[in-house]
Amino acid sequence: MIDWTAFVTVAAASLLSACLLVALYALGVRLLTSTGDLLPRTRRLAGVACFVLCGALVLFGIYLIVPALHGG
Amino acid sequence: MDITLVVALVIALALFFDFTNGFHDTANAMATPIATGALKPKVAVAIAAVLNLVGAFLSTEVAKTISGGLIREGEQGIQITPVMIFAGLIGAIVWNMVTWFLGLPSSSSHALFGGLIGATIVGAGFGAIDGAVLLSKIVLPAFLAPVIAGVVAFTATKIALVLTRKSDTSQGGFRYGQIFTSSLVSLAHGTNDAQKTMGVITLTLVAAGFQSSGTGPEFWVIVVCALAIALGTYMGGWRIIRTLGTRITDVSPPQGFAAEASTTATILASSHLGFALSTTQVASGSVIGAGLGKDRRAVRWRVAGRIAIAWLITLPAAGLVAALAELIARIGPVGIAIDAAIGVAVIVTIFVRSRRSVVAHHNVTDSDAVPDDASALEPKKAGTP
Repeated sequence: MIDWTAFVTVAAASLLSACLLVALYALGVRLLTSTGDLLPRTRRLAGVACFVLCGALVLFGIYLIVPALHGG
Repeated sequence: MDITLVVALVIALALFFDFTNGFHDTANAMATPIATGALKPKVAVAIAAVLNLVGAFLSTEVAKTISGGLIREGEQGIQITPVMIFAGLIGAIVWNMVTWFLGLPSSSSHALFGGLIGATIVGAGFGAIDGAVLLSKIVLPAFLAPVIAGVVAFTATKIALVLTRKSDTSQGGFRYGQIFTSSLVSLAHGTNDAQKTMGVITLTLVAAGFQSSGTGPEFWVIVVCALAIALGTYMGGWRIIRTLGTRITDVSPPQGFAAEASTTATILASSHLGFALSTTQVASGSVIGAGLGKDRRAVRWRVAGRIAIAWLITLPAAGLVAALAELIARIGPVGIAIDAAIGVAVIVTIFVRSRRSVVAHHNVTDSDAVPDDASALEPKKAGTP
């Protein structure tokens, strides 16, 4: 009667995607938060990379929302 | 009564329901960014309104039955008449107004389904309702949605706080992120919710013979529904924003970001992997989860409990009002006129009562400027603003 497989899939997908987004964003914030000194080049690059990945996740979200983009 | 007049009444009511749906659900996306100061209240509702407007045009994939199989429609089942839809909408609108007045984030979809079910039971008997679908699509998901969203938001909040070591300097960084996550929730809402009203109007036009069955919504229907939900969203529904943003728990930017990310992820997963969940229930669960993720004692369970009770009674309450409306409407044209008059009277009364303790953009995040929701039902002393 209730589709438990679908339920577990939804729960797992939600957990993974939300945690991935939050982890990347938090890491980006952490890496780019200046402690007063100039940030090392690698650290700055890693921080920017985190935000780029977050941006990609957000774009994927928009892709899912807009039916015209995925032929829904 | 002339069928054209009934159809016009139903369309007007459907658009007003769409409007209440808008302000009822602004909080889902915008309560947390407003609470953390990521967005100014007026900017937040403006963004939400625009995204709901845009969202309504993005998707024209209207469900074949607006009730999602709850009511046995079609050739084998019963014929839903415009009058039943009229009574159902009255139930849905009245319940949305009451819960808004009490600042309770209840599901507008459940109010709509409840209203249609109540009217159908009176109009066509209990046999017209599919109990198994009711249980699997409404009752059980109502318990599961906040649990999934709560667990996701709890975990995400833990991750955010551990990774940033709760440092104060990183708090501001999360505010920028909140703008994106809350906008995604708004857009997703726009593609879903305005469609329900488009479905109701289209069903009515088909039932009255103005449109051939099996066709999608007319363009003017899409336009007016998009405008109604956007206008409603812009009105803010500040009472519900206050409950969700500041009453359940005190939200910090990392928590707000984690809560919105969880809401977005859960809504998108549920709508694409085939397990429909209510946006409102997901958003409320996320806020509770985010509160627990920071501090187990930070959640005010009394508030959360009142919200849970509102969820439980939304469907039967809207159904009861709609059933009464349907009973009166069966008298004939006079009954419909009485229904309409009572409906308008209730809406006006609730609105006038709400002016006694105004909650709006200027005081939405104040914790003590306005009496708590519970006391809002009690008569106030004269002169209270």
